[in-house]
Amino acid sequence: MSAATLIAGKDLRLRVRDRSFFIIGILAPVVLAYIFNLIFGSAATGTGLGLEYGLVDADRSEISEAFGLVLEGAESEDVLTLDRYDNRNDAEAAIEDGTIDAYFFIPEGFGDAATSNQSSTIQIVGDIDSPTSTGIAESFAQQFASGIASGQLAVGTSAVLAQQPVTPEFIASLSQDPAAASASFTLSDESAATKQLDATTYFAAGMAVFFLFFTVQFGVSGLLEEEREGTLARLMAAPIARPSVIVGKGLLSFLLGVVSMGVLIVATTFLMEANWGAPLGVAILVVAGVLSAVGIMGLVAAFAKTPEGAGNLGSIIAVILGMLGGTFFPVGASGGVLSALTFLTPHAWFLRGLAELADGAPWTEALPATGAILVFAVVTSAIAWVALRRRLVA
Amino acid sequence: MDILSADSLVKRFDDFTAVDGVSFSVAEGETFGLLGPNGAGKTTSISMVCGLLEPDGGSVTVAGEKISTSSTNGRDAIGLVPQDLAIYPDLTAEENLSFFGRLYGMNGSGLEGRVAEVLDVIGLTDRKDDQTKEYSGGMKRRLNIGIGLLHSPQLLILDEPTVGVDPQSRNAILEAVEALSQQGMGVIYTTHYMEEAERLCDRVAIIDEGTIKAAGTRRELVAMVGQKDRVVVTGGGNLADAASALRTVQGVSEVSASDSHLSVLATDASSILPELLATITGSGGTISGVEVSEPNLEAVFLHVTGKELRD
Repeated sequence: MSAATLIAGKDLRLRVRDRSFFIIGILAPVVLAYIFNLIFGSAATGTGLGLEYGLVDADRSEISEAFGLVLEGAESEDVLTLDRYDNRNDAEAAIEDGTIDAYFFIPEGFGDAATSNQSSTIQIVGDIDSPTSTGIAESFAQQFASGIASGQLAVGTSAVLAQQPVTPEFIASLSQDPAAASASFTLSDESAATKQLDATTYFAAGMAVFFLFFTVQFGVSGLLEEEREGTLARLMAAPIARPSVIVGKGLLSFLLGVVSMGVLIVATTFLMEANWGAPLGVAILVVAGVLSAVGIMGLVAAFAKTPEGAGNLGSIIAVILGMLGGTFFPVGASGGVLSALTFLTPHAWFLRGLAELADGAPWTEALPATGAILVFAVVTSAIAWVALRRRLVA
Repeated sequence: MDILSADSLVKRFDDFTAVDGVSFSVAEGETFGLLGPNGAGKTTSISMVCGLLEPDGGSVTVAGEKISTSSTNGRDAIGLVPQDLAIYPDLTAEENLSFFGRLYGMNGSGLEGRVAEVLDVIGLTDRKDDQTKEYSGGMKRRLNIGIGLLHSPQLLILDEPTVGVDPQSRNAILEAVEALSQQGMGVIYTTHYMEEAERLCDRVAIIDEGTIKAAGTRRELVAMVGQKDRVVVTGGGNLADAASALRTVQGVSEVSASDSHLSVLATDASSILPELLATITGSGGTISGVEVSEPNLEAVFLHVTGKELRD
């Protein structure tokens, strides 16, 4: 057995004995992923939030019906439940008895106002005890109103261009010749950037990669503990090559990382029905992710002066990278600079790689993200290796 | 035959020269003491001897192999017992010994047998399955030494092994070192306790400010500074005549007498003691008690460094 393996084996025994690995490496991420999934998973999918709305359509125009269809579409996706009422009194009675959280009231003339480029309003009446549901209802209405406003703007622009007044006849002529209305455009990119993990898998993967950085720290920061405890001198006085000590620590970090991720993947698959994707693709992402975590935490160990210092610095870096990498929230979805910065973390690439594997995609889809993560691993490991070797010789 | 040869060792840390031209050797079965105050350069010197530090000058040879930080040659001939405890508190004594034994290439029944043997030597067989964090300070010290002994090194380096140890454990450690030396193991023993150096060491080097100020056997060092043994005889009878007769004995340099005491300064008093006592009784004196005190290394240290050892 090589010296590095002996050292890794000894450290593994210590970590198993003090139970820290089980708590940080397995228990904490599974529990947090489960809690996050309970809280935010419902918000992401709508299921379980109990959004119960009513609709009073006093207008009964094509446009008001369109809004009803939007809501029914959301109902069919299990985002909400919708009850239709003939009048406001019935709807308010339903709020009073708790049947619904809020109702939408579309006043008579709403459709005419919309088609004649005039102001129109969807009223929201909500239960005072259900502010969240009412707020979400306002969002639905706002989104629909925005669509109408866009249409009105397009019609107005066309009228200006055609040097004609906005009349029902003019609008009718636009509908017969849509190309004349405005230059319509849509984004139809269905590439990887738009692929998303389901909420359960997202939070499971996010917590797994977030805690991975704490888990691998047990291995590499062990070097500082050996230094403080005086056992490092004994190791270096033994007839073993000095790099074996570093390799042993790195080996333990890698092993703990892979075991932690493996247990989390299996646990969340069976307990939370997470869908990780093609096993081979997940495996290469995990290996690359663990290697990058070992490299980054090795770098921390190389420049920290004490185990406590390494722990603090490592935690700060793990949290910053985790937050930026979108392990708690999909930071990249916010766009802009933050979206670009997120890919400066292996976390983001890991989550992106898993997203590539969603919906039964082949394992090869994970290769680009794996490559990006390996760049982090190689660069940080190389610097850590040089710095740690210097530290051992000094 | 020398098991260790350290030649003109130099070690600098930035502008500070911690060790400056230190040379010494240790023969098989010899216990060699490095005596000096804290910060004298003892630990830096032995760190170079066992390959933990690369010398800026000079060289170290152990069992015929040149010692270097970049090579493992000669390392298995050295057993290191660091000044600070170097054991894993969450492992048992047996696990600690087995781990370090494997690092030195031991395995199988050979390792198991040797671990049992060492546990017996250090008196921890009954507690071998307890995690060492539950041990007393003395037990930890003994295990610290046991790990250094495990692979039966030709040269054992003990860096102040009795610091912070209770008197009982301290005596056990000193007895163990004496036994190892008798078995033919070369020992380097660093200490700032004068009495330990005097008890254990065949030869002593007094080190201070990174240089060896004096080296040799205790007697050679004492002779170097002109110190003599003192014999105090308690008795009666004709002590005045006895004093006159004693002055003629070879090796006696000074005699003084009182009503009940004779005080004699002599070189190597132990060897001429029978002659001294015979001279006293032959001159009409009677003897009721004898006390021989030899000059200690404290005086030598004071002489060569100009300061007390515990400064």
